[in-house]
Amino acid sequence: MINHHLSDETLWAYVTGSLPAGHALLVSCHLELCKACQGRLAEAEALAGALLQTSEQLNTSDELFERLLLRVESEKPSRSLSCISRPKPRQGVPSDLWGVLGQGYSGIKWKVVGPGIRQFVLPVESSEGEKARLLKLSPGYMTPEHSHHGSEMTLVLKGSFSDETGRYKVGDVQEADDLVHHQPVADTEEDCICLAVTDAPLAFKGLLPKLLQPFFGI
Amino acid sequence: MQLQGNDGGSRNYLSSQELSVLLQSFGKTRSKEVFRQLFIFFAPRLKNYFLKGGASLELADELIQETFVIIWRKAELYDERKASASTWIYTIARNLRIDHFRKERRYLYKDDRFFSKELVVDETQFESHHQAQLSERVQKALPLLPAEQSKIIKLAFYEDASHSKIAQYLQLPLGTVKSRMRLALVRLRKLLKGVEP
Repeated sequence: MINHHLSDETLWAYVTGSLPAGHALLVSCHLELCKACQGRLAEAEALAGALLQTSEQLNTSDELFERLLLRVESEKPSRSLSCISRPKPRQGVPSDLWGVLGQGYSGIKWKVVGPGIRQFVLPVESSEGEKARLLKLSPGYMTPEHSHHGSEMTLVLKGSFSDETGRYKVGDVQEADDLVHHQPVADTEEDCICLAVTDAPLAFKGLLPKLLQPFFGI
Repeated sequence: MQLQGNDGGSRNYLSSQELSVLLQSFGKTRSKEVFRQLFIFFAPRLKNYFLKGGASLELADELIQETFVIIWRKAELYDERKASASTWIYTIARNLRIDHFRKERRYLYKDDRFFSKELVVDETQFESHHQAQLSERVQKALPLLPAEQSKIIKLAFYEDASHSKIAQYLQLPLGTVKSRMRLALVRLRKLLKGVEP
Protein backbone atom coordinates (compact mmCIF):
# COMPACT_ATOMS: atom_id res chain seq x y z
CA MET A 1 0.00 0.00 0.00
CA ILE A 2 1.57 3.26 -1.13
CA ASN A 3 0.88 6.18 1.20
CA HIS A 4 3.12 8.94 -0.09
CA HIS A 5 2.39 10.06 -3.63
CA LEU A 6 3.69 12.49 -6.23
CA SER A 7 2.72 16.11 -5.78
CA ASP A 8 0.50 17.81 -8.35
CA GLU A 9 3.26 20.16 -9.45
CA THR A 10 5.64 17.27 -10.05
CA LEU A 11 3.03 15.35 -12.04
CA TRP A 12 2.30 18.41 -14.17
CA ALA A 13 6.00 18.95 -14.85
CA TYR A 14 6.25 15.28 -15.87
CA VAL A 15 3.22 15.51 -18.16
CA THR A 16 4.51 18.64 -19.87
CA GLY A 17 7.94 17.04 -20.28
CA SER A 18 9.60 19.82 -18.30
CA LEU A 19 11.00 17.75 -15.43
CA PRO A 20 14.81 17.30 -15.40
CA ALA A 21 15.90 13.80 -16.46
CA GLY A 22 16.62 12.29 -13.02
CA HIS A 23 13.34 13.56 -11.60
CA ALA A 24 11.49 12.24 -14.64
CA LEU A 25 13.11 8.84 -14.08
CA LEU A 26 11.95 8.82 -10.47
CA VAL A 27 8.41 9.80 -11.45
CA SER A 28 8.22 7.14 -14.10
CA CYS A 29 9.44 4.51 -11.57
CA HIS A 30 6.80 5.59 -9.06
CA LEU A 31 4.09 5.52 -11.73
CA GLU A 32 4.98 1.95 -12.57
CA LEU A 33 4.37 0.99 -8.93
CA CYS A 34 1.37 3.20 -8.11
CA LYS A 35 -2.10 2.71 -9.57
CA ALA A 36 -3.48 5.83 -7.89
CA CYS A 37 -0.88 8.07 -9.51
CA GLN A 38 -1.47 6.40 -12.89
CA GLY A 39 -5.04 7.65 -12.57
CA ARG A 40 -3.84 11.12 -11.63
CA LEU A 41 -1.41 11.05 -14.57
CA ALA A 42 -4.29 10.30 -16.94
CA GLU A 43 -6.13 13.23 -15.43
CA ALA A 44 -3.18 15.61 -15.89
CA GLU A 45 -2.70 14.38 -19.46
CA ALA A 46 -6.37 15.05 -20.10
CA LEU A 47 -5.82 18.59 -18.92
CA ALA A 48 -2.83 18.96 -21.25
CA GLY A 49 -4.90 17.61 -24.13
CA ALA A 50 -7.63 20.11 -23.36
CA LEU A 51 -5.05 22.93 -23.34
CA LEU A 52 -3.92 21.86 -26.81
CA GLN A 53 -7.49 21.62 -28.04
CA THR A 54 -8.35 25.11 -26.86
CA SER A 55 -5.03 26.75 -27.75
CA GLU A 56 -4.31 29.54 -30.21
CA GLN A 57 -3.94 28.63 -33.87
CA LEU A 58 -1.33 29.61 -36.41
CA ASN A 59 -1.70 29.36 -40.17
CA THR A 60 -0.53 26.21 -41.84
CA SER A 61 -0.35 25.79 -45.61
CA ASP A 62 -2.17 23.40 -47.92
CA GLU A 63 1.19 22.40 -49.19
CA LEU A 64 2.14 20.96 -45.80
CA PHE A 65 -0.80 18.58 -45.93
CA GLU A 66 0.04 17.58 -49.52
CA ARG A 67 3.62 16.79 -48.52
CA LEU A 68 2.34 14.80 -45.54
CA LEU A 69 0.09 12.72 -47.78
CA LEU A 70 2.94 11.95 -50.15
CA ARG A 71 5.01 10.82 -47.21
CA VAL A 72 2.47 8.52 -45.55
CA GLU A 73 1.13 7.06 -48.77
CA SER A 74 4.57 5.86 -49.75
CA GLU A 75 4.84 3.94 -46.47
CA LYS A 76 4.44 0.20 -46.43
CA PRO A 77 1.49 -0.99 -44.33
CA SER A 78 2.72 -1.40 -40.77
CA ARG A 79 2.92 -4.64 -38.85
CA SER A 80 0.26 -5.39 -36.30
CA LEU A 81 0.28 -3.07 -33.31
CA SER A 82 -2.10 -4.92 -31.11
CA CYS A 83 0.01 -6.46 -28.33
CA ILE A 84 1.52 -3.44 -26.60
CA SER A 85 1.40 -3.64 -22.83
CA ARG A 86 2.41 -1.44 -19.95
CA PRO A 87 6.00 -1.90 -18.64
CA LYS A 88 6.38 -4.03 -15.53
CA PRO A 89 9.08 -4.18 -12.81
CA ARG A 90 11.80 -6.75 -13.37
CA GLN A 91 13.10 -8.58 -10.27
CA GLY A 92 11.47 -5.79 -8.26
CA VAL A 93 13.33 -3.11 -10.25
CA PRO A 94 11.11 -0.62 -12.11
CA SER A 95 11.70 -1.10 -15.84
CA ASP A 96 13.09 2.36 -16.58
CA LEU A 97 15.56 2.04 -13.72
CA TRP A 98 16.48 -1.42 -15.00
CA GLY A 99 17.11 0.24 -18.34
CA VAL A 100 19.63 2.58 -16.69
CA LEU A 101 21.27 -0.07 -14.47
CA GLY A 102 21.20 -2.94 -16.96
CA GLN A 103 20.85 -5.28 -13.96
CA GLY A 104 19.16 -5.86 -10.60
CA TYR A 105 20.19 -4.38 -7.24
CA SER A 106 22.42 -7.34 -6.27
CA GLY A 107 25.00 -6.63 -8.96
CA ILE A 108 25.51 -2.95 -8.14
CA LYS A 109 29.02 -1.81 -7.18
CA TRP A 110 28.16 0.37 -4.18
CA LYS A 111 30.55 2.99 -2.87
CA VAL A 112 30.77 3.60 0.85
CA VAL A 113 30.11 7.24 1.66
CA GLY A 114 29.93 6.98 5.44
CA PRO A 115 29.14 4.48 8.18
CA GLY A 116 26.05 2.52 7.13
CA ILE A 117 25.47 4.43 3.93
CA ARG A 118 26.45 3.48 0.40
CA GLN A 119 25.62 5.06 -2.90
CA PHE A 120 25.70 4.44 -6.61
CA VAL A 121 25.55 7.51 -8.83
CA LEU A 122 23.34 6.78 -11.82
CA PRO A 123 24.64 7.60 -15.29
CA VAL A 124 21.69 9.89 -15.98
CA GLU A 125 22.66 12.77 -18.20
CA SER A 126 21.12 15.91 -16.85
CA SER A 127 21.18 19.64 -16.51
CA GLU A 128 20.51 22.20 -13.81
CA GLY A 129 22.91 20.69 -11.27
CA GLU A 130 20.75 17.64 -10.89
CA LYS A 131 22.10 14.34 -9.57
CA ALA A 132 20.43 10.95 -9.45
CA ARG A 133 21.76 8.21 -7.21
CA LEU A 134 20.77 5.03 -5.49
CA LEU A 135 21.31 5.08 -1.74
CA LYS A 136 21.58 2.01 0.43
CA LEU A 137 21.03 2.56 4.14
CA SER A 138 21.96 -0.13 6.65
CA PRO A 139 19.31 -0.89 9.30
CA GLY A 140 19.27 1.60 12.12
CA TYR A 141 21.84 3.88 10.55
CA MET A 142 20.96 7.53 10.82
CA THR A 143 21.84 9.76 7.89
CA PRO A 144 23.34 13.12 8.81
CA GLU A 145 20.67 15.67 9.57
CA HIS A 146 20.38 17.92 6.57
CA SER A 147 18.31 20.55 4.89
CA HIS A 148 18.11 21.49 1.22
CA HIS A 149 19.07 24.42 -0.93
CA GLY A 150 17.06 23.06 -3.79
CA SER A 151 14.82 20.03 -3.63
CA GLU A 152 15.34 16.35 -3.06
CA MET A 153 13.01 13.59 -4.23
CA THR A 154 13.31 10.11 -2.82
CA LEU A 155 11.58 6.92 -3.90
CA VAL A 156 11.83 3.82 -1.72
CA LEU A 157 12.68 0.75 -3.80
CA LYS A 158 13.41 -1.77 -1.05
CA GLY A 159 12.93 -1.79 2.74
CA SER A 160 11.74 1.38 4.43
CA PHE A 161 12.87 4.50 6.24
CA SER A 162 11.39 6.94 8.70
CA ASP A 163 12.02 10.57 9.47
CA GLU A 164 10.27 13.45 11.14
CA THR A 165 7.65 13.53 8.39
CA GLY A 166 6.58 9.90 8.51
CA ARG A 167 7.34 6.35 7.43
CA TYR A 168 8.23 5.55 3.82
CA LYS A 169 7.87 2.08 2.36
CA VAL A 170 8.37 0.56 -1.10
CA GLY A 171 6.84 2.83 -3.73
CA ASP A 172 6.49 5.81 -1.40
CA VAL A 173 7.82 9.16 -2.56
CA GLN A 174 9.21 11.95 -0.45
CA GLU A 175 9.52 15.41 -1.91
CA ALA A 176 11.65 17.61 0.35
CA ASP A 177 12.13 21.26 -0.47
CA ASP A 178 14.46 23.83 1.03
CA LEU A 179 12.31 24.23 4.12
CA VAL A 180 12.62 20.65 5.27
CA HIS A 181 15.19 19.52 7.83
CA HIS A 182 15.25 15.81 8.17
CA GLN A 183 17.22 12.83 9.34
CA PRO A 184 16.08 9.62 7.66
CA VAL A 185 16.76 6.24 9.28
CA ALA A 186 16.30 2.75 7.81
CA ASP A 187 13.79 1.34 10.26
CA THR A 188 13.65 -2.41 9.65
CA GLU A 189 16.11 -5.33 9.75
CA GLU A 190 16.53 -4.97 6.02
CA ASP A 191 18.75 -2.62 3.98
CA CYS A 192 16.80 0.29 2.57
CA ILE A 193 17.43 1.11 -1.09
CA CYS A 194 16.19 4.43 -2.41
CA LEU A 195 16.39 6.38 -5.60
CA ALA A 196 17.31 9.93 -4.58
CA VAL A 197 17.39 12.88 -6.93
CA THR A 198 18.71 16.27 -5.91
CA ASP A 199 18.66 19.41 -7.98
CA ALA A 200 21.06 21.40 -5.84
CA PRO A 201 23.74 20.56 -3.26
CA LEU A 202 22.44 19.37 0.08
CA ALA A 203 23.30 21.60 3.02
CA PHE A 204 24.44 19.45 5.92
CA LYS A 205 24.22 20.62 9.49
CA GLY A 206 27.05 19.99 11.92
CA LEU A 207 30.77 19.38 11.45
CA LEU A 208 30.88 15.64 10.74
CA PRO A 209 28.21 15.82 8.04
CA LYS A 210 30.17 18.68 6.48
CA LEU A 211 33.20 16.43 6.39
CA LEU A 212 31.12 13.72 4.77
CA GLN A 213 29.71 16.04 2.15
CA PRO A 214 32.64 15.66 -0.27
CA PHE A 215 32.04 11.91 -0.27
CA PHE A 216 28.52 12.38 -1.50
CA GLY A 217 30.04 14.15 -4.46
CA ILE A 218 27.43 16.88 -4.32
CA MET B 1 -5.34 29.05 -50.30
CA GLN B 2 -4.91 28.66 -46.56
CA LEU B 3 -6.42 25.67 -44.85
CA GLN B 4 -6.92 27.69 -41.75
CA GLY B 5 -7.30 31.38 -41.09
CA ASN B 6 -6.00 32.90 -37.90
CA ASP B 7 -9.35 34.09 -36.66
CA GLY B 8 -9.02 33.29 -32.97
CA GLY B 9 -10.32 29.78 -33.41
CA SER B 10 -14.04 30.42 -33.52
CA ARG B 11 -14.41 28.96 -37.01
CA ASN B 12 -12.17 25.97 -36.50
CA TYR B 13 -13.57 24.36 -33.41
CA LEU B 14 -14.86 20.86 -32.87
CA SER B 15 -16.01 19.37 -29.58
CA SER B 16 -14.02 16.60 -27.87
CA GLN B 17 -16.77 14.21 -28.80
CA GLU B 18 -16.55 15.10 -32.49
CA LEU B 19 -12.77 14.83 -32.45
CA SER B 20 -12.83 11.40 -30.83
CA VAL B 21 -15.33 10.21 -33.43
CA LEU B 22 -13.06 11.51 -36.19
CA LEU B 23 -9.94 9.84 -34.83
CA GLN B 24 -11.69 6.56 -34.22
CA SER B 25 -13.24 6.66 -37.65
CA PHE B 26 -9.88 7.29 -39.26
CA GLY B 27 -8.43 4.28 -37.38
CA LYS B 28 -11.14 2.09 -38.86
CA THR B 29 -11.63 3.46 -42.35
CA ARG B 30 -8.23 5.06 -43.17
CA SER B 31 -10.23 7.73 -44.98
CA LYS B 32 -8.01 10.51 -46.34
CA GLU B 33 -10.84 12.98 -45.97
CA VAL B 34 -11.11 12.23 -42.24
CA PHE B 35 -7.33 12.45 -41.94
CA ARG B 36 -7.52 15.86 -43.58
CA GLN B 37 -10.17 17.03 -41.13
CA LEU B 38 -7.98 15.99 -38.21
CA PHE B 39 -5.11 17.88 -39.82
CA ILE B 40 -7.20 21.02 -40.33
CA PHE B 41 -8.17 20.99 -36.69
CA PHE B 42 -4.87 20.08 -35.05
CA ALA B 43 -2.09 21.37 -37.32
CA PRO B 44 -2.63 25.10 -36.49
CA ARG B 45 -2.72 24.28 -32.78
CA LEU B 46 0.34 22.05 -32.96
CA LYS B 47 2.17 24.80 -34.81
CA ASN B 48 1.52 27.14 -31.89
CA TYR B 49 2.65 24.43 -29.47
CA PHE B 50 5.91 23.66 -31.26
CA LEU B 51 6.79 27.30 -31.98
CA LYS B 52 6.27 28.32 -28.37
CA GLY B 53 8.44 25.37 -27.37
CA GLY B 54 11.35 26.91 -29.25
CA ALA B 55 11.08 25.29 -32.69
CA SER B 56 11.85 27.28 -35.83
CA LEU B 57 9.11 27.59 -38.48
CA GLU B 58 10.71 24.83 -40.53
CA LEU B 59 11.14 22.55 -37.55
CA ALA B 60 7.55 23.20 -36.42
CA ASP B 61 6.31 22.10 -39.85
CA GLU B 62 8.51 19.02 -39.66
CA LEU B 63 7.25 18.13 -36.17
CA ILE B 64 3.63 18.62 -37.27
CA GLN B 65 4.27 16.21 -40.13
CA GLU B 66 5.89 13.69 -37.82
CA THR B 67 2.96 13.93 -35.41
CA PHE B 68 0.58 13.10 -38.25
CA VAL B 69 2.78 10.29 -39.53
CA ILE B 70 2.38 8.67 -36.10
CA ILE B 71 -1.37 9.34 -36.12
CA TRP B 72 -1.49 7.69 -39.56
CA ARG B 73 0.37 4.65 -38.29
CA LYS B 74 -1.25 4.19 -34.90
CA ALA B 75 -4.80 5.53 -35.12
CA GLU B 76 -6.18 2.01 -34.90
CA LEU B 77 -4.83 1.81 -31.34
CA TYR B 78 -6.84 4.82 -30.25
CA ASP B 79 -9.37 3.95 -27.57
CA GLU B 80 -11.81 6.70 -26.65
CA ARG B 81 -12.44 5.17 -23.23
CA LYS B 82 -8.81 5.82 -22.37
CA ALA B 83 -8.28 9.35 -23.58
CA SER B 84 -9.78 12.10 -25.63
CA ALA B 85 -8.40 12.55 -29.16
CA SER B 86 -6.69 15.77 -28.05
CA THR B 87 -4.96 14.04 -25.17
CA TRP B 88 -3.82 11.19 -27.39
CA ILE B 89 -2.44 13.59 -29.97
CA TYR B 90 -0.90 15.78 -27.27
CA THR B 91 1.15 12.86 -25.94
CA ILE B 92 2.44 12.14 -29.45
CA ALA B 93 3.43 15.78 -29.98
CA ARG B 94 5.03 16.07 -26.56
CA ASN B 95 7.05 12.89 -27.07
CA LEU B 96 8.30 14.24 -30.39
CA ARG B 97 9.29 17.50 -28.76
CA ILE B 98 11.19 15.62 -26.05
CA ASP B 99 12.74 13.40 -28.68
CA HIS B 100 13.99 16.47 -30.46
CA PHE B 101 15.00 18.83 -27.66
CA ARG B 102 15.50 16.59 -24.64
CA LYS B 103 17.27 13.55 -25.94
CA GLU B 104 18.43 12.51 -22.47
CA ARG B 105 14.80 11.91 -21.45
CA ARG B 106 13.48 10.27 -24.56
CA TYR B 107 13.63 6.73 -23.15
CA LEU B 108 11.12 7.77 -20.49
CA TYR B 109 8.55 8.98 -23.00
CA LYS B 110 8.33 6.15 -25.48
CA ASP B 111 5.06 6.08 -27.37
CA ASP B 112 4.51 2.41 -26.59
CA ARG B 113 3.43 2.98 -23.04
CA PHE B 114 0.93 5.62 -24.05
CA PHE B 115 -0.66 3.33 -26.57
CA SER B 116 -0.87 0.30 -24.31
CA LYS B 117 -4.12 -1.57 -24.38
CA GLU B 118 -4.55 -1.53 -20.64
CA LEU B 119 -7.05 0.85 -19.26
CA VAL B 120 -6.13 2.77 -16.15
CA VAL B 121 -9.14 3.00 -13.94
CA ASP B 122 -9.03 4.77 -10.64
CA GLU B 123 -11.60 6.61 -8.62
CA THR B 124 -9.57 9.79 -8.96
CA GLN B 125 -9.72 9.67 -12.74
CA PHE B 126 -12.31 11.53 -14.72
CA GLU B 127 -15.45 9.66 -15.60
CA SER B 128 -15.83 9.10 -19.31
CA HIS B 129 -18.59 11.68 -19.62
CA HIS B 130 -16.16 14.15 -18.09
CA GLN B 131 -13.58 13.22 -20.72
CA ALA B 132 -15.92 14.31 -23.46
CA GLN B 133 -16.71 17.63 -21.83
CA LEU B 134 -13.24 18.26 -20.52
CA SER B 135 -11.94 20.67 -23.14
CA GLU B 136 -15.08 22.73 -22.96
CA ARG B 137 -14.72 22.87 -19.21
CA VAL B 138 -11.02 23.78 -19.42
CA GLN B 139 -11.89 26.62 -21.75
CA LYS B 140 -14.25 27.98 -19.13
CA ALA B 141 -12.07 27.16 -16.13
CA LEU B 142 -8.74 28.66 -17.21
CA PRO B 143 -9.88 32.30 -17.14
CA LEU B 144 -11.17 31.70 -13.61
CA LEU B 145 -7.66 31.00 -12.34
CA PRO B 146 -5.64 33.90 -10.97
CA ALA B 147 -3.32 35.14 -13.74
CA GLU B 148 -0.22 34.27 -11.72
CA GLN B 149 -1.37 30.64 -11.52
CA SER B 150 -2.43 30.10 -15.12
CA LYS B 151 0.82 31.70 -16.29
CA ILE B 152 2.85 29.09 -14.42
CA ILE B 153 0.72 26.23 -15.74
CA LYS B 154 1.22 27.47 -19.30
CA LEU B 155 4.95 28.14 -18.95
CA ALA B 156 5.47 24.47 -18.20
CA PHE B 157 3.05 23.41 -20.93
CA TYR B 158 4.25 25.54 -23.83
CA GLU B 159 7.80 26.43 -23.05
CA ASP B 160 8.94 23.23 -21.46
CA ALA B 161 10.25 25.27 -18.52
CA SER B 162 11.22 23.34 -15.39
CA HIS B 163 10.17 24.57 -11.94
CA SER B 164 13.56 26.15 -11.35
CA LYS B 165 13.61 27.80 -14.82
CA ILE B 166 10.17 29.29 -14.14
CA ALA B 167 11.41 30.51 -10.75
CA GLN B 168 14.40 32.15 -12.43
CA TYR B 169 12.29 33.66 -15.18
CA LEU B 170 9.62 35.09 -12.90
CA GLN B 171 12.17 35.92 -10.18
CA LEU B 172 10.22 34.00 -7.58
CA PRO B 173 11.38 31.54 -4.94
CA LEU B 174 11.18 27.92 -6.12
CA GLY B 175 8.71 27.12 -3.35
CA THR B 176 6.35 29.85 -4.56
CA VAL B 177 6.39 28.49 -8.11
CA LYS B 178 5.61 25.00 -6.86
CA SER B 179 2.83 26.10 -4.55
CA ARG B 180 1.17 28.26 -7.23
CA MET B 181 1.28 25.36 -9.65
CA ARG B 182 -0.19 23.08 -7.01
CA LEU B 183 -2.96 25.54 -6.18
CA ALA B 184 -3.78 25.98 -9.86
CA LEU B 185 -4.07 22.24 -10.40
CA VAL B 186 -6.19 21.68 -7.31
CA ARG B 187 -8.49 24.49 -8.43
CA LEU B 188 -8.66 23.22 -12.00
CA ARG B 189 -9.47 19.74 -10.83
CA LYS B 190 -12.38 21.07 -8.78
CA LEU B 191 -13.60 23.22 -11.66
CA LEU B 192 -13.32 20.35 -14.11
CA LYS B 193 -15.15 17.92 -11.89
CA GLY B 194 -17.92 20.42 -11.55
CA VAL B 195 -17.42 20.65 -7.81
CA GLU B 196 -17.17 24.40 -8.21
CA PRO B 197 -19.43 26.32 -10.57
